[in-house]
Amino acid sequence: MRLNRSRRHPGDAASAARTRRRTGILAAVGALVAAVAVGSTAGAQAATSEGLLCQTDPQQTFSLTARTGYVSTPDGNSIYMWGYGMSSGQFQLPGPVLCVTSGQPVTVILHNDLPEATSILFPGQKAVKANGNPAQPQLDTGGSLTSMVQPAGASGGSVTYTFTAGSPGTYLYSSGTDVTKQQQMGLYGALVVRPAGAAGQVNARPDSAFNPQHEYVFLLSEIDPEVHLAVERSQPVDWGAYNARYYLINGRSMPDTLAPNNASWLPSQPYGALVHIKPYDAASNPLPAVIRYLNAGRGNYPFHPHGSDERVVNKDGHALQGTSATAPQDLSYLKYDIDVMPGQTVDALMDWRDVEHWDATSNPIPTQLPVITDQLLVGADTWFSESPYLGTKGTYPSNITVNNECGEYYHVAHSHALQQATNYGAAFGGMMTVFRIDPPAGCPTS
Amino acid sequence: MSTTTAVPPVQPAGPSGPSDPSTRTGREGRARAALAVVAVLVVAVLGLLGARALRGGDDPGRPVPHSAAMETALGVRISRVAVVGDGGLVTVSYVVLDVDKASRFQADVKHPPVLRSEARDGSTNRVSVMRQGHINRAGATYYFVYQNTGGALRAGEDVTIEYGGLRLEHVPVL
Repeated sequence: MRLNRSRRHPGDAASAARTRRRTGILAAVGALVAAVAVGSTAGAQAATSEGLLCQTDPQQTFSLTARTGYVSTPDGNSIYMWGYGMSSGQFQLPGPVLCVTSGQPVTVILHNDLPEATSILFPGQKAVKANGNPAQPQLDTGGSLTSMVQPAGASGGSVTYTFTAGSPGTYLYSSGTDVTKQQQMGLYGALVVRPAGAAGQVNARPDSAFNPQHEYVFLLSEIDPEVHLAVERSQPVDWGAYNARYYLINGRSMPDTLAPNNASWLPSQPYGALVHIKPYDAASNPLPAVIRYLNAGRGNYPFHPHGSDERVVNKDGHALQGTSATAPQDLSYLKYDIDVMPGQTVDALMDWRDVEHWDATSNPIPTQLPVITDQLLVGADTWFSESPYLGTKGTYPSNITVNNECGEYYHVAHSHALQQATNYGAAFGGMMTVFRIDPPAGCPTS
Repeated sequence: MSTTTAVPPVQPAGPSGPSDPSTRTGREGRARAALAVVAVLVVAVLGLLGARALRGGDDPGRPVPHSAAMETALGVRISRVAVVGDGGLVTVSYVVLDVDKASRFQADVKHPPVLRSEARDGSTNRVSVMRQGHINRAGATYYFVYQNTGGALRAGEDVTIEYGGLRLEHVPVL
């Protein structure tokens, strides 16, 4: 516009008026386009309803801020938490999923808005530096440990951690300061390290390839609300009375685990935990999903997906393989119950295979209980989908409740320590979700 | 936007008096066309914003209507209806007001509440297994998980909940 103005004759009022009109119109159109773009952005976010939401950066540099906030639980509770969030964002639980490439430098800048010092540990990463110095335990003048790593000071401090991303896989990152309390308060997140040049693999082995459209993180944790209440009130915590009441996948409990990413009613808990796939097909759907399990809690979480084994291919960021330098043996294994220990990570490939050659007419899945044990949960009620096979609805016994949109199946997946599948003791809830398997041709209404 | 659309169609004065009518008509036509474009865009944006507001999925604070009759009869207050499971499932959350009545309501497995879409001819009464197998606590929230039969319910629309001859209308679906 400035160029146009300089070219017009100073006395050309008509031109000036035209220019003003055009400017105004263009400004209006620009504003309208921007408004429409805002709506489109919201639509794009809504489209990302499930699966991994990766935080990436071309320089692999992330600015996190430790903040206070609240999460909601399905039974109506609201719990005071601490959490890492993007500095440009807001409080969230768990921390952002940081996705980086193996062998490349990573920088994490931690800002601290908490009332006490805090830090980040990166277990599994080598030669981590804090503000350019080797990251190491911090002692007070009396020789007592104050932090596992250099912290960011309370109420406004910051610290910068740098390291080279290690072997491909999944890692927990969490507070290294007053670990028991701060990790319980929610200071944890997932770090996904991808193989250089092979982002579609869990590790460097080609047989760890997965479908990038079906990548999931299951960050498991727990909450004792009494601890959180004490911290909120600046009262001492009675750890002898510790009793977890809520069990979470990605900061949510069942049924909130089924809700989409960025569900509007869970503004501080952005990550869902629904696995949504189609049956394996050598031609059209050859690659499995990957589920990256992490345990940020205090106990063992025996995670049990109904309906299908999962192939464990990685643990703690290391491929399960032999030591042969030329052709390391494949040591991955199928598992029906994934035990995830505190601090551990387990990467598992998952697909759904029709090993019985079901057919809606010639070999229908029988509809009598308890034949389809994989689809039963507990008692007479079931997640059975009233479908003789995927995509086809059929008759079903009157005592079976059903769960079906287009002939799809839902398999429950949950902690098999059943007290962990409750919301403050109410069954079922807690560390539970479903794996949704759509008909091979897809689900027209989803 | 209103500032832009309020810009008057200034009549340019040429160096030799009033401008040529044909030129003026052309300019006016262009101005009218431009304004028409702006007007269309305004309508489109207002429509978009209105649709988003009506959709409600962006507004978790939109209140769920209450029915005193239903709450008295059932002992529960519906607190949220949400489409989940990537469109295939629906969660219905409710707060227990009266433990005894709520327990009876929850145990009535043969007559679950019907969720009837107000936007299309679709409904579901397919309650999944995830019923609470426990003693209810007053003030706590519990839930049902429904199958979303044929995609009957969609986020941003309204649903009517029917149970035992009682109706709760215009419940926003998140």
